Amino acid sequence: MVDLYSRRRMANRIVVSLSIGAALLGITWLVLILGQLLLEGFGALSLAVFTEMTPPPGSTGGLRNAIFGTAVMTSIAILLGTPIGILAGTYLAEYGRESKLAMVVRFINDVLLSAPSIVIGLFIYEMMVIHMGHFSAWAGAVALAVIVIPVVLRTTEDMLNLVPTGLREAATALGAPRYFVIRRVAYKAARNGIVTGILLAVARISGETAPLLFTALNNQFWSTDLNAPMANLPVVIFQFALSPYEDWRRLAWVGALLITMAILAVNIGARALAGRKAS
Amino acid sequence: MTVEILDPIAKQADTTMPPKVSIENLAFFYGESKALKNISLPLHDRKVTAFIGPSGCGKSTLLRILNRIYEMYPKQRAEGKVVVDGLNILDKGTDLNMLRAKIGMVFQKPTPFPMSIYENIAFGVRLYERLGKEEMDERVESALRKAALWEEVKNKLHSSGLGLSGGQQQRLCIARTVAVRPEIILLDEPCSALDPISTAKIEELIDELKDDYTIAIVTHNMQQAARTSDFTAFMYLGELIEFGETKQIFTHPGKQQTQDYITGRFG
Repeated sequence: MVDLYSRRRMANRIVVSLSIGAALLGITWLVLILGQLLLEGFGALSLAVFTEMTPPPGSTGGLRNAIFGTAVMTSIAILLGTPIGILAGTYLAEYGRESKLAMVVRFINDVLLSAPSIVIGLFIYEMMVIHMGHFSAWAGAVALAVIVIPVVLRTTEDMLNLVPTGLREAATALGAPRYFVIRRVAYKAARNGIVTGILLAVARISGETAPLLFTALNNQFWSTDLNAPMANLPVVIFQFALSPYEDWRRLAWVGALLITMAILAVNIGARALAGRKAS
Repeated sequence: MTVEILDPIAKQADTTMPPKVSIENLAFFYGESKALKNISLPLHDRKVTAFIGPSGCGKSTLLRILNRIYEMYPKQRAEGKVVVDGLNILDKGTDLNMLRAKIGMVFQKPTPFPMSIYENIAFGVRLYERLGKEEMDERVESALRKAALWEEVKNKLHSSGLGLSGGQQQRLCIARTVAVRPEIILLDEPCSALDPISTAKIEELIDELKDDYTIAIVTHNMQQAARTSDFTAFMYLGELIEFGETKQIFTHPGKQQTQDYITGRFG
């Protein structure tokens, strides 16, 4: 009896120690990456980063055009992808449910959700860049939107499924038509969760490099033309970090720091929203 | 004493006035399985009809046919007739939204919408009426008064309905149903999630509401059925075993099964 109990306690201690060890190992890498990033990034951070354009090698400059480009393309991608994702998620949760079409859409969405982003970049390259004859911010935004759609779709469907059936029945029992029940009751109950999904999509795309390499490419200069190539942080980091020039590499660190901080902020925002829902 | 006075009125309603709702040969299916068989009974105008019976006997199912809320689920279907004011509501042409505006329903679990107390009530009203601010304020107040909730919430009409206690939430749901001005109110075990004090309040409420509405209430609580209703239907395994005046059902039931159930000897 006692022997069995002490053996169980021993087993418990071993498993707990292993779990803690594994958790620490996981966190260690994150801390090292963030530490390195903060060290290198803050060292090179200056006001010029926000006011000057990406420089040619050997001269000073900043990341203004790249920050602008990332903000613009991320915003357009969210504006394009969010409505499609929300509407499709609404279809799956409220109308399609177990229908054949819904099953197919759900399956394809799951595939899209885990599709390598470089494939999406190549797809938009084929569909848009080749037809237009040149790289453009539009193509970049569309490629990012394709990544946004499955993220928003999935969270919308999941969040609507969490809305209690009783709420829908209660609204229906008052004589509310179906679209009205969805719009006024289901969306309202699921709002924080859906917004969290959108924020997570923002976080996901703001660091994507591969889809932009084939679509928006890069631009050394200030450009607000959506039909022209546009600078953006991920591609600038990619290009600068691999270069032999010390000042370019420093800017790449700053760019990485900016993206990481932005994603961190968005994630914390999403967390806060999700937390508010639970309370 | 009161029972003696009420009794002749109930009898009079039984014989001289056509019933508000007449259920005829009703059957109901969840997919392949038959949940209700051959149900026929009336719901008398401005009377409370209680449905009692063990869990799974089909009483909630029956209630859910009366406003066709079951239509939300594709595999459920009803056969037979439910005649309300001379029209069979199971007909294909029935406008479900109008039907539900006329036949309100309160559920077992309180279901306040995620919005303010005021908006919870205005929600249903706005579906069918365009009221000015003042009229709407009056409607909200009168609905909350009818549901005996006004005094408790009049100073926080614009705070969330989710912040109320369970009993208050259920009364909010009753107010919300009453505000649409239905003719019939269906109550599906409205007190099963509530404490005795809230239950007593809701029972008082039912007593007041029956002056204006035809009420059908499903309950597991025998005393509640005896206290609140004029007529009682006892159901078992999807069939209507006995229907009659509450007083008669509870004092001289016609069937042995009814007798066993109401005395708690049911096995």
